[in-house]
Amino acid sequence: MIMKSSSSPLASLLPALAVLVVLALVPALGPSNRILSLAISAGINIVALYGLAVLFGQTGILSMGHAALVGVGAYTAAILARDLGIGFWVALPLGSLLAAAVAAIVGVPSLRVSGHHFVIMTFAFGQLLSIVLTNGGAFTGAATGLDLQLPVTWFGRPAGDLVPYYFIVIAFVAISAVASWLIINSSYGRTLRAIRENEKLAASLGINVGRHKIGAFVVSGLFAGVSGVLLAYFFRHISPNQFSAFPSIYLALMVMIGGARLLLGPIAGGILVSFLPEMLNLDPVESRILYGICLIAVILLLPNGLIAGLFDGLRALGRRLVGSAPRPNVPTDGTSETA
Amino acid sequence: MMSAILQIEGLRKQFGGVTALAGVDLAIQEGEILGVVGPNGSGKTTLFNVVTGVHKPSGGRVLWHGRDITGLAAHQISGVGIGHTFQQAMAFPGLPVIENVRIACEHARRSSRAYPWTTPEALLRFVGLSDLAGERAGVLPFGNLRLLGIALALATRPSLILLDEPAAGLNDKETLALVGLVKQLPEHGISVCVIDHDMKLMQMLCRRLVVLDFGSKIADGPIRDVLNDPKVLEVYLGGVL
Ligand SMILES: Nc1ncnc2c1ncn2[C@@H]1O[C@H](COP(=O)(O)OP(=O)(O)OP(=O)(O)O)[C@@H](O)[C@H]1O
Ligand SMILES: [Mg+2]
Repeated sequence: MIMKSSSSPLASLLPALAVLVVLALVPALGPSNRILSLAISAGINIVALYGLAVLFGQTGILSMGHAALVGVGAYTAAILARDLGIGFWVALPLGSLLAAAVAAIVGVPSLRVSGHHFVIMTFAFGQLLSIVLTNGGAFTGAATGLDLQLPVTWFGRPAGDLVPYYFIVIAFVAISAVASWLIINSSYGRTLRAIRENEKLAASLGINVGRHKIGAFVVSGLFAGVSGVLLAYFFRHISPNQFSAFPSIYLALMVMIGGARLLLGPIAGGILVSFLPEMLNLDPVESRILYGICLIAVILLLPNGLIAGLFDGLRALGRRLVGSAPRPNVPTDGTSETA
Repeated sequence: MMSAILQIEGLRKQFGGVTALAGVDLAIQEGEILGVVGPNGSGKTTLFNVVTGVHKPSGGRVLWHGRDITGLAAHQISGVGIGHTFQQAMAFPGLPVIENVRIACEHARRSSRAYPWTTPEALLRFVGLSDLAGERAGVLPFGNLRLLGIALALATRPSLILLDEPAAGLNDKETLALVGLVKQLPEHGISVCVIDHDMKLMQMLCRRLVVLDFGSKIADGPIRDVLNDPKVLEVYLGGVL
């Protein structure tokens, strides 16, 4: 029997790209600045979430200090601009590489130990980075943080206003989605899934489990660094508490709520978590309670996240409407991430 | 004349106060199917685990074609050409069967030897799982999971394969199919070492048998002689044989 049940890998990329095309049309509807700002920060988070999708979705490793890696990118951008006059486009690759390097430094000792220890280590790293930034004196701006004054330009024209910056962020979300899709469908992606599914078996087949786990963390750092540079140039002011425990938990929450294994997951999670409190008009304490409840509900009811749950639900509905018997043992979209 | 591909010398493994291997000497010859039996807890699985890098030995040496490979990590052992299956049949449960095998193929060591299976599809055909290529490995019945485990180990292009109770949980028909499959391996240049409790199976598969008891080798020789060895009969209380 030839595997005909699932479509080509391209079919998993198209929905995400289609959604992004629709989102790129949003400025034409004349949204308020408030909505546009929220959308930009959601997009900045989504870039980091695509890195978490590789780390958590594919490799099965949870990072609870991911905002700290975003912070490395953001501070790199701010310090490069302040001390060397280096601007947005050069800061992007440098911030990304530096965040990846920091991920390697944190990852090498942490990933030698088991998964649970890694979660704790990443959390501790996040806290540590906050402390370092807060006590970094004039170099990091201490608790007040740093301002960023260099403009963002696009072929000589200013691109720092909300609408042009929105397009830049959407473009980076698209690049992140495609990069993450390429990883998922490569031999490297299969290797990471093997580690997620069964480390002992993976090792017996010749996979260097430790090295690939560190590699996945480094890859997720590349995404986080880009997200950090985008963030710094959007807010124009960064401070340590933007990269501490709560932002890290939100990132983990977004990837779990949206679902880490499907390309639409990060988009859904990023938008939902950014917009929900605003739409429901909640204060910060209420929104934290809401996030907590959402997280528990998703873990209990939709372990593969909202998007996978939605697809499964639609499929079940379709079967009932058509009245055909369910095909047994065919992997659902929730589980066949390459399909 | 056969020559030893794997030479185990004085291999010891201690788990806290438990001595799982108390200094085992064992040679596996090129092209043979060697059987290893012994009561529960006699150290059979530990022997495999220490050779394959799942556990570090507490003492002794493992030589592969004369080269010391003692204490190498599991992925490095796979790289020298020793494949193995686990007593607890395992796969990558959330992934399709074909992807399971593809992963194993993608990490196969480089080897100049010609193997009859070069693609995931060919491997699935060899173990008879072609029809299940698209299923998630997690839904396979137990017997098929064992066959998948063998396909994964073969995909690494081993010249020695260690099988830990490959027939446990299989029905008679499946067991016979397994025997047919394992007996072909030496023709393809793959030596075999197999653990099992089923003496009928051992008699079908092996000419030479090793018996472990409390972490020590108590018999090693042609299967007829070993099964009539008084020491062996005593260990099995005359009942099982
Ligand atoms: N990881 C471990 N930690 C502690 N003790 C262990 C471990 N693995 C094995 N042992 C102990 O080592 C001894 C040998 O176990 P082993 O699994 O090698 O036996 P076996 O011959 O394979 O038995 P069986 O026929 O039941 O599979 C037992 O006493 C067992 O409890
Ligand atoms: Mg055993």
